[in-house]
Amino acid sequence: MFALTKRRFLQVAGLSIANRILPNRLRAAAARQSGAGRKVILVTFGGGVRYSETFAPEGLRNIPRLVEMKPRGLFFRTCANAGVLSHYNSTASILTGNWQRVDDFGFQPPASPTIFEYYRKATGASPTDAWAIATNKSFSLIGSGSDRNLGQPYGPNLVLPKQLLLEAVQGVVSKNADAGVANRENVLRHLETILSEGYEGVGWTIFKAGRQLDRTVRETLTHALVEYINGPEAPSSGDELTFFIAREVMREVAPRLMLVNFWDMDVAHWGSYSLYLQAITKTDRLTGMLWEEIQSNPNYKDKTTLLLLPELGRDGDINAANGFLNHRSGDASCRNMWMLAMGAGVAAGEVERPVFHVDLAATAGELLGVKAGEMTGRPLREILS
Amino acid sequence: MAGGSKLSATLQALIDKGLFDRLPATFSTFFFEQIQDWELLFPAERDYHERLFTLLDRSDSALVERLFEPLRHIEQTMGVNENNWPRRHFTLDQVDFLNRSPRYPEWRKAVADIFARLDPLLDEEIASAGHPRLVVVIAPGELPVGPDRMWLRIRQHGKRVPLEAPQDVADYLPLLLTGAGHKDAANSIAATYAHAKAGEPYGAWAVEAGGSLTGNTERLVALSYERLRDYRARLMSEVRHIVETQEVRGPRQLSAKLKGLKIRTSEGDVSRDPILAEFARAILLSGNGTLLVNNTFVEWSTVQAVRRARPSVAVVSFGIRNKIKPFSSLLIYADQDTANPIPTQMDTLGTYVDLEIFYQYIWQEFEKYAEYRRNTAYLFVAEGMDELFAIAPPDFRLLAETKPVKLAEVFGSMKDWMNL
Repeated sequence: MFALTKRRFLQVAGLSIANRILPNRLRAAAARQSGAGRKVILVTFGGGVRYSETFAPEGLRNIPRLVEMKPRGLFFRTCANAGVLSHYNSTASILTGNWQRVDDFGFQPPASPTIFEYYRKATGASPTDAWAIATNKSFSLIGSGSDRNLGQPYGPNLVLPKQLLLEAVQGVVSKNADAGVANRENVLRHLETILSEGYEGVGWTIFKAGRQLDRTVRETLTHALVEYINGPEAPSSGDELTFFIAREVMREVAPRLMLVNFWDMDVAHWGSYSLYLQAITKTDRLTGMLWEEIQSNPNYKDKTTLLLLPELGRDGDINAANGFLNHRSGDASCRNMWMLAMGAGVAAGEVERPVFHVDLAATAGELLGVKAGEMTGRPLREILS
Repeated sequence: MAGGSKLSATLQALIDKGLFDRLPATFSTFFFEQIQDWELLFPAERDYHERLFTLLDRSDSALVERLFEPLRHIEQTMGVNENNWPRRHFTLDQVDFLNRSPRYPEWRKAVADIFARLDPLLDEEIASAGHPRLVVVIAPGELPVGPDRMWLRIRQHGKRVPLEAPQDVADYLPLLLTGAGHKDAANSIAATYAHAKAGEPYGAWAVEAGGSLTGNTERLVALSYERLRDYRARLMSEVRHIVETQEVRGPRQLSAKLKGLKIRTSEGDVSRDPILAEFARAILLSGNGTLLVNNTFVEWSTVQAVRRARPSVAVVSFGIRNKIKPFSSLLIYADQDTANPIPTQMDTLGTYVDLEIFYQYIWQEFEKYAEYRRNTAYLFVAEGMDELFAIAPPDFRLLAETKPVKLAEVFGSMKDWMNL
């Protein structure tokens, strides 16, 4: 089972690249179906990051790429999370436009429909046109709510790269393979095996619109894995794999609506401030690379709006809880964040008035030309005007 | 008592009088749960609970009613009732209920407002019985910076004091903490205090990443990340097993399961004291990196010791954190050395960054409590460094020094300060 050599695997991956010429036909069909309208990419700094480590003067050194990007975008100084300060509820609020108060650990779907469902139902877009790629491995149900008229049939393709990595790394460790996880090939073999044997087991939702499409999706993901494992840096984190998969999905199927949830900075719970800062800087770099992809990919350039925000903050330093380690105190440091809008139709500048996380879904709906259902959030007129 | 632990006569009498039943459910239920395992509470915690509820009992009932009225109102709007808040039962379901409520911020504010009124009254009692206290925070010698880059977040609150460091760095900490060289093996300031104040159990603590400060130390509360290695390894293995076999549905169920993972006699001296055994279990299973990162263990243990035990003397010693190996975040409960054969390396720069914020958190935590304000000398030192940083009341002798001070003299100042 594990006799697949790296060379052989790369050959297989190479074939898959060749094969992707074939699915172009399918991609073209998908493009016709969804029209040539605006695309929206939501990027969350999941795990939570404070103003003080990002756009506060003392935090700017941690986010050099965002500092570069900010003058070209519209910066909302206060984007508040007024909901439950757990990861799942925070991101679900962003996706639904309503403050979510469901199980904190992802055992329930959101209580109201997500923007993915509204988008797919309204446009008839195929599953390949809406993706959620999340490092947080508890997000397996976050793509769609429990509304009977919408729900999972209208949800996104949902990929949890960290869960994939986890399975692979645990597989390597349990088999006591030579050099353990220090050997990239060991990890790669296990990643490939998991993809081959069934991603459903790791909590993913990949819609199967026929065998051909299913294979295309799998090959897309496999290619991302190869790039990740053989990249210039030692692969070590879920966020890096999230980025590679997101970029590969953009290149291969060019969805109109996508969530990219980074999450490495939640390492703050370990209590190491330096690791937390390193994770922020890594996410900053990956976000910059994602922006570069948007700018250089003809399917996205000049037609994509990037909405970037932390899903929540973290407790303040003068807090009873334990400062940056946690994010449940409800103080201003947890709730008051920022949001950066970039790309198509977005005028550069800064917005003083406070906006809310739930405004994002409503805004994305307007950008996509989709009439969404009832939402607490309101479209951000500054982006739409 | 549901917890099977005998409550103090004072509190039992107040419960029997119906005091807890007259208070808003979210408030009284929380505290009722807190006192269930009475015999596992530190004396300072027991004292606090007795003083709090005695104060409420002896206060004018109309005033108490007014004090709690906003909280009662919010509870009503939140839908708190006897079904979702059984009077004598506070579980993670109640925590969840509060967290998910849209009125949670208002609830928090109402509770904070109540304590803003009560705490000054309780603090007055503490302040009137105040005595000098001492906190020594030690950084490892390998940090890659000099004193000019140390303690930056709290620099404005104290003074750098020049030191005459010994020739042999092995004598540095012994001279500071015992007044003698390492060959003399004298008692540390914390151990000396513990022996002198036998009537103050849990009054002196040594919390460390390594294992050099917490040797044979009767009466001293000694917590060492290193010495708890076997217990940590077992906990990690148990947690990994629970997670991998999916015996539990989520963190709440996991938390309940972990309650049973008590320290064994062979796994550490703290096992001999039920209060400390439970303290160590709670620290290591708090879910905040204490199992995985030595300095997180030291910081969180110290913060919890301050909150719960209010020690008079605390010696807190950090170590160097190791570099995180690739994929470590995916194998949280695995032995990193086995999972990844890449040699373990020290992260001295990362440790420096980590500790700078921990100095602030630790100092702030002490200063939150009336026991420490205006009568505590804090000494921040780094092994081998020719300066220390002191935050202390003006009459702490070391603050007046302008010439380099010998470490034995620093020890003398600490001893004098603590009247030993």
